[in-house]
Amino acid sequence: MYRRLKDDLFVLFAFASALLAILPIFHILFSVFYNGIPVLAKYGVEFLSGTLPPPNKAGGGVFPAIYGSLTMIVLSLMLGIPLGVFAGVFIAEYPSSSISKAARTVLVIILEFPTILVGLFVMAVMVIPMGRFSAIAGAFALTIVMLPYVATYTEQAIRSVPQHYKEVGFALGLNRFRIVFSITLRIAKKVFITGLLIGMAKVSGETAPLIFTAGNVWRSTGALNEPAGAIPLWIYYLVQQPYSNYHEIAWGAAVVLLAIFLVIFLSARLMVRS
Amino acid sequence: MKNLVAVGLIVAIACLFLGCLAQEKAEVQKSVKIYGSGASFPAPQIENWIHEFSKANPNIAVEYASKGSGAGINDFKQKLVHFACSDPPVKESEWRELQNIGKPIQFPVVVGAVVVVYSVPIEDLKLDGTTLARIFMGEVEYWDDETIRSLNPGVNLSHEKIWVVHRSDSSGTTEIFTSYLSLVSDEFGKKVGAGKLVDWPVDKLGRGLGGKGNEGVSAILRQTPYSIAYVELAYAIREKLRTARIMNADGYFVKADAETIGSAIAASSSLVPDPREGYREDVKMFLNAKGKDSYPIVAFSHVLLWESYPTKEEAEAIKTFWKWALTEGRKHMVEGYVPIPESVASIALKAIDGIRGG
Repeated sequence: MYRRLKDDLFVLFAFASALLAILPIFHILFSVFYNGIPVLAKYGVEFLSGTLPPPNKAGGGVFPAIYGSLTMIVLSLMLGIPLGVFAGVFIAEYPSSSISKAARTVLVIILEFPTILVGLFVMAVMVIPMGRFSAIAGAFALTIVMLPYVATYTEQAIRSVPQHYKEVGFALGLNRFRIVFSITLRIAKKVFITGLLIGMAKVSGETAPLIFTAGNVWRSTGALNEPAGAIPLWIYYLVQQPYSNYHEIAWGAAVVLLAIFLVIFLSARLMVRS
Repeated sequence: MKNLVAVGLIVAIACLFLGCLAQEKAEVQKSVKIYGSGASFPAPQIENWIHEFSKANPNIAVEYASKGSGAGINDFKQKLVHFACSDPPVKESEWRELQNIGKPIQFPVVVGAVVVVYSVPIEDLKLDGTTLARIFMGEVEYWDDETIRSLNPGVNLSHEKIWVVHRSDSSGTTEIFTSYLSLVSDEFGKKVGAGKLVDWPVDKLGRGLGGKGNEGVSAILRQTPYSIAYVELAYAIREKLRTARIMNADGYFVKADAETIGSAIAASSSLVPDPREGYREDVKMFLNAKGKDSYPIVAFSHVLLWESYPTKEEAEAIKTFWKWALTEGRKHMVEGYVPIPESVASIALKAIDGIRGG
C-alpha cells in the first residue's frame, strides 16, 4: 500500500515536471500567435511587401527584414556548410590527429560562446576594414554561430555508419573522399541533414551577432556589401519604441520569424522520423 | 513524407520570392543611400522625417539605426555611417579624437523635454525645483509633507510614502534631469551630482526603484501607487501618464508642451556655439530658462556630420536630407518633439552648405 503510494507520487511528480517544462513553450507559441495573427490579418499582404511606417501611421510591413534575414541565412549556409562538413569529416576520419582534437575543443567552445562577442569579433575583422555594416558581415557572424552544429552532426553521422560499409569501399579501390561523400554520408544523410537544418534554425533567430555586423535598414534593400535588416533585429529595436504601431509590427514580425523557424525545425524532425 | 517536406519548403521560399518581385516593382530606383546611427530619443522623429522626405526625394534612401548615443558616435568615428545622433553634445576629448580623422560638425536638430510623472490620484500636481530635488534625494518621505502641501493648497494629499522611480541604465534623460536638479539645488549637486548614471540616495532608504529605459520606468510607475518618476515627454504623451507642473525660473508653474519648450530655448538660443566648435555647448545653458512661459527641463538632441565625404553624391544626399529636415521638416513633427528655433536652424544650414564631397 505504502509502496504503491510512493510510486504514484513519483509518477505524478514526473508528469507535473514535464508539464512545467513544456508550458513556457506553449505560452510563447500562444502569445506570439494571439498577438501577431490579428496584426497579419489587419495589415494584409502589405505586411510582407511593405517597409517601416512612421510612428503612429497605419500600414507598412517588414519586407526589408525578411529580405535581409533570407539573404544572410542563405549566405551563411553557403559559407558554413562546406566549412562545417569538411571539419566534421576531418574530425571523424582522423580522430587521433592533434589538429582534430584541437578542432573538437574549439567547436565546443564556439557552441557555448556568447554570440554578441562573435559579432564584436566580426566587426573588428570585417566591418571596420570594409568601412560599413553589411549583409556579408552579418552572414559571416552567423556562419561562426552555425559552424559547430554542422560539424558536430556531420561527425556523428559518419560515426553512426558501421565500419563494414567503408571497408567495402576500400575493397572497391575508392579513395577516402569518395567513401565519405558517396557511401558514409549517403547512408547517414538523415543525421547529416538534421544538423544542417538545426544550424539553419539556430541562425534564423539570432539577434546578437547581427547588432555590430549587419547594421540594420528599415526601408531599403541593398547589395551584399550594404547594411541589411533582419527579423530578430527589427523586433529588438521596435519594442523599445513607445509607439503602438511599432509594437504591432514587432508582434507580426515575431509570427513571421516563428513560421520560418517552425518550417525549418519541423522539416528536421520529419526527416529524422521518416 | 519527405516529398511533403520538400514541397512545403519550396512553397514557403516561392512565397517569399513572390514578395520580393512585388517589392521590386513598387520600389523606385534608389540611387544614393545614406546611413546613420545613434541616440534612440530622436529616432521616431527621424523616422517620420525620412518617411516624408523620401516622398519628395525618391532617389535618396536614408536609414537610421537607434542604438544609443555612444554606439552612434563610435560608428561615426569608424566612418561606418554618414551621420550620428547624440543627445548630449559630444565632449571635448571626443571632439579632438574626431578632429584627428576629419572635420566634424555638430548642431541641434530637435528639442525634447524631461517631464515628471506620478501615480497619485490627483489631477494637477505642482512642484518646484528644490522640492523635486528633496523628493529624489529621499528627504521628503510622505505625499502630505508640508513642502508639497504648501505648493498645492486645497489639494487632498494622503499620508502615503513616496516611491521614487529612476532609470537603472546609463541614460541621457538621467543626465538632463540630474543636471537640472543640481542647478536648482546645491545640496543635490553636492550629494548626488549630474550624470548619465548616478547613485540615488533614496535607494538606500528603501524607497527607490530602478527601471530600464523609459518603458521600464513607466511600467514600474503604473504598478506602484504613490510613485513619482521622470521620463521623456514623447513617452509620457504616448503612455498617457500624468505630468506634474514645474515652477520655472520666473516663479510660474508650467507643463511641457510645444509652446513652453519653444519659449525656454528661444531665450538662450544665441548661446548655441558654431557647428564647427560643437563641443563648446553646455547642457546646463538651456535648463531653468528665464521667461514666464518657459518649461525648465529641456534639452537639444544633436547630429554629427563630416565636412567632407568620399563622393559628391553622398555629400549632396546628406546636404539635401538635413537641409530638408531643418526647413520643410519643421512641418512634420511627431507629438512630443519640438523643432529647433529658426535662428539656430539658420546657423546649422550655413554649416551644412559647407559640406563637400569627392
